[in-house]
Amino acid sequence: MSYRKQPKLLGARVRRVEDPRFLMGKARYIEDIELPGMIDAAFVRSPFAHAEILSVDVSEALAVPGVIAALHGQDLSGRVKPTVCDAISDGWQSSEFPALAIDRVRYAGEAVAVIAADNRYLAEDGAALVDVDYEPLTPLASVEAAQEPTAPLLHKGWKGNYFYRDRHAGGDPDLAFSNADGVLEIELATRRHGGIPMEGRGCIAVYDPIERVLTLWSSTQIPHLIRSELANCLGLPENRVRVIAPDVGGGFGPKSHLNPEEVAACVLAMDTRRPVRWIEDRREHMLACFHSREHYHKARVAYSEEGEVLALSAEVTVDCGAYSVYPWTAALDPGMSLFIMPGPYRIRNFRCETLAVATNKCPYGAYRGVARSANCLTIERAMDAVADALGMDPVEVRKRNLIRDEEFPYTSVSGFVYDDTSLIESLDKVCAEADYEGMRERQRLAREKGRLLGIGVVTFIEQTAPAVDEGVPINFRYDSALVRLDPSGSATVQLGTHSHGQGHETTIAQIVADQLTIPLDQIRILYGDTQQTAQGIGTFASRTAVVAGGAAHIASGQVRDMLAERGAHLMEAAAEDVELVDGRVTVRGSGTRGLSVAEVARATYYHPELFPFGWSPLLEAAGTFDAGHGTYANASQIVLVEVDPETGAVEILEYHIVEDCGRMINPTIVEGQIHGGVAQGIGGAFFEELIYDEQGQLLTTSFMDYLIPGPTELPDFRISHLETPSPTSPNGIKGVGEGGAVAPYAIMAAAVQDAIRPIGNVFVNELPLTPERVLGFVDRAAGRTDREARRSG
Amino acid sequence: MKPAAFAYCAPRTLEEAISLLDEHGYDAKLLAGGQSLVPLMNLRLARPTVLVDINRVDGLAFVESGDEVVRIGAMTRHHTVATSSEIRGASPLLSHAAGHIGYRAIRHRGTLGGSLAHADPASELPCVAVTQSATVRVTGSAGERTIRADELFLAEMTTTLAPDEIVTSVAIPRIRPDEGWGFREFVRKVGDFAVVMAAALLRVADGRVASARLGLGGAEGTPRRVTEAEQALVGSVLGAETIEKAARVAAEAVEPTSDIHGSADYRRRLVHAMTRRALQDALGRLEAGHG
Ligand SMILES: Cc1cc2nc3c(=O)[nH]c(=O)nc-3n(C[C@H](O)[C@H](O)[C@H](O)COP(=O)(O)OP(=O)(O)OC[C@H]3O[C@@H](n4cnc5c(N)ncnc54)[C@H](O)[C@@H]3O)c2cc1C
Repeated sequence: MSYRKQPKLLGARVRRVEDPRFLMGKARYIEDIELPGMIDAAFVRSPFAHAEILSVDVSEALAVPGVIAALHGQDLSGRVKPTVCDAISDGWQSSEFPALAIDRVRYAGEAVAVIAADNRYLAEDGAALVDVDYEPLTPLASVEAAQEPTAPLLHKGWKGNYFYRDRHAGGDPDLAFSNADGVLEIELATRRHGGIPMEGRGCIAVYDPIERVLTLWSSTQIPHLIRSELANCLGLPENRVRVIAPDVGGGFGPKSHLNPEEVAACVLAMDTRRPVRWIEDRREHMLACFHSREHYHKARVAYSEEGEVLALSAEVTVDCGAYSVYPWTAALDPGMSLFIMPGPYRIRNFRCETLAVATNKCPYGAYRGVARSANCLTIERAMDAVADALGMDPVEVRKRNLIRDEEFPYTSVSGFVYDDTSLIESLDKVCAEADYEGMRERQRLAREKGRLLGIGVVTFIEQTAPAVDEGVPINFRYDSALVRLDPSGSATVQLGTHSHGQGHETTIAQIVADQLTIPLDQIRILYGDTQQTAQGIGTFASRTAVVAGGAAHIASGQVRDMLAERGAHLMEAAAEDVELVDGRVTVRGSGTRGLSVAEVARATYYHPELFPFGWSPLLEAAGTFDAGHGTYANASQIVLVEVDPETGAVEILEYHIVEDCGRMINPTIVEGQIHGGVAQGIGGAFFEELIYDEQGQLLTTSFMDYLIPGPTELPDFRISHLETPSPTSPNGIKGVGEGGAVAPYAIMAAAVQDAIRPIGNVFVNELPLTPERVLGFVDRAAGRTDREARRSG
Repeated sequence: MKPAAFAYCAPRTLEEAISLLDEHGYDAKLLAGGQSLVPLMNLRLARPTVLVDINRVDGLAFVESGDEVVRIGAMTRHHTVATSSEIRGASPLLSHAAGHIGYRAIRHRGTLGGSLAHADPASELPCVAVTQSATVRVTGSAGERTIRADELFLAEMTTTLAPDEIVTSVAIPRIRPDEGWGFREFVRKVGDFAVVMAAALLRVADGRVASARLGLGGAEGTPRRVTEAEQALVGSVLGAETIEKAARVAAEAVEPTSDIHGSADYRRRLVHAMTRRALQDALGRLEAGHG
């Protein structure tokens, strides 16, 4: 048998097949689902960051006409298991995260009680009448406060306020430091922010007492993982729990958790026997949708006179908030940092200590580019610092340290095996695309006129579709696809992943179309319903194109083989003499038209008598693909910015990107992913910050106070591609979902620092670069004290 | 984020609206464009029990050009203030500033009267109204009165309006052809509320500044003119140096507020920069020969 070898759709700029329903406002999000008898939930949230709950009285709320049910922590205690999501490590301390706080609240915004009513208005009326008696405790609103020796312990049986501490070392850092020509120390901070999907969280819980099935519609990226933990918390077998994720209006990581609100909604549904809907509002989202990105790094860097980085020693502290979240644990960001910090550089001596501090803040979860953006910031700022120390160009320093082409596959000092990338080529290419030399010249001319132009350069490598075998409660190495050809010859593909903006209904169909040689519109991609798909893991970590794409490739390949075999039998040809071309099984070289896929499918399903006894009449296959520890994408970027030294405003003048995500399934979709990722990265670099005061009160609970960039804040992205196929995955595909979000922190810090260089030297090390922070750096560069700066106003 | 229960009335006449306000006192709120009130209600920070919608009241949305002033009805939308040729002809400063309010959708709903009554310190129209010494006409159960713009604003989000008083119109003095104007604001992102704004209006005669108006918004709890800086300008020869001096005086004169959008120190520096830039723009317009 042979098949059409030349891929037709892989790599084509196919228009997204899912777009019409989104563009016409016909997508179906949680809030568009109407179920008979549905009631709405509203949560009572703690006004205190840290307090004992002395009592909860819901009687007044229940007296409001239209209020149907109320629950608080004590009601669930003993009935619903709290979430315990532990990393497996000696440095781990376990804790419980109840769906509704039982005797203690640990962050402002934590759900304490829930009211269900005929509509959300009445539910909020009821919620306002719930009487909770709190005894405030000392709020631990920062990493420092939590680590004070006198700080109260946040969880039972703990030895200190941390979830996790760990260390990793490779090579001989001590020796390398003592032999180095120079050593420098840097400190960096990225402030807490989040993914802020346009659609907030939300769910509808329905209990069918006849079937004894609990259905949860959830705006989630991970329906299967939600099902497992929901079943565990509620003590139900998983075959009685169904999770459906309909259209999801942005995921970005914040929607890859089991939310306590969802567990509470399920209990309400089981109690009231009515569908219970909870639609998060933006204030709740800010307060209680798990936050991200709060990293504090200290690093020492040893380097040679030639600009080679010889050793890196780092301390990583992450403010992980109040609870360890499912399924990631509070070790997510700090654990990852132990391994990824050296990035794309040939650093052979590395030591990292990491600490996940528990504080009275919203729990910490996943967000696009988990741990990567902060680690990219540290290693890239280290490269810039070495360049400055030696008076070298930042591009040159990077070139001296980047892993060379001939070194792939390359085992990093932390044990990662980088499969194949185009690190140096991407840096050369972005320099050419941006006309780096010319840009430096333009910068020089602008400086002569007193304008502050700055250039930033970043190169990074990114483990996409990553997985780790140790330390995690769930190892997500694989995903699944079921491919089923029906009697008409059209195909249905059921994926274990989800799609919420990534265009998988198009890209996965492109992969399947090439295998089955049938038109794209003959392929239907389904996902998001645990009752309709094989066990899967979900969509996050730039994994779906690799793992679901791999699984779909494998499964559709098997179906293709079945088709060919059956077609050959019908044509009385030898299996090895047939080929599948443009939707037809033909005998090679015979000149006949052969049989269409539909003809073969129809015969297979409805005329089993035509085939040897025992041949399966089902043209379907299940495939899984295990990407091992992942595929490695890379990119290089250059930006040009201008700083206004009076206001601290930064304008992005140019943004050049050269990206390599292996073989592209669809370049348009790749570019869209980069646009979105960079936009979010720019948000974190300049705008987004969840600010807590010392009492642990969140001060940024609306878009008046928490700014996100819009089109007017974003530059034109100038993107070009390199395609270094992954040796790991079918079709050479690597992930690209997060890459855009990795570099902006580092590149903007570098560019702003470079811009204010004519005023003086300063190390830009804190994000987001709000105008006021930028002015602070300008002042320091000018050697102005705070007092002088104040007067200069 | 759903409002508490309220009764809704949509009177057709000003008299009806006033009597509703009179009847319900502090429990009632006027609804104009709703762009400030409705978010507050959704957050339950405002909980009026009676909402008096004045969108159907006749005669509150108009533009009337006079020799000395342009009179603008309270229900005139920001978009109209920004684009009407009559308003632009009378006060390009006001039109220009209105174009800075929020986003297009907000400008199509939000109203001049609502903006003044809401008295957000970072709003553009109150700043310009104070800078230009606009007068505000209000009607209540006790009758009609006229309030000078600078006497309307008492503190952040607080005015001298009685609970039963409705802003009906605003009179903005015409900017003369020999006057130059400038308006600058610093926003962290396009369409966002300004952190600090400065409005300048200058007249030069015989090479010297004959009159100067300089208004600031966002810096303090209420918009205000900075007379210290105005005085520094009057009588001087307008140029980079005098402008820089006036900007410095303004920065020293303010007592800025401090919040997560900017510390007092930072706001002071923005006052300096925005004032200088607004004055430079005014000078530029004078030199170009059109106000
Ligand atoms: C996203 C967003 C961005 C915004 N950005 C800006 C900005 O950059 N600059 C800016 O200035 N504003 C901004 N606004 C606010 C907007 O300009 C509002 O329209 C304005 O502040 C209030 O006008 P309104 O007609 O919407 O009043 P409403 O919201 O209807 O009412 C506001 C208050 O004024 C009272 N009121 C209304 N009309 C009268 C009247 N005739 N007499 C007496 N009292 C009255 C109401 O009772 C209420 O207390 C923004 C709003 C939003 C939602």
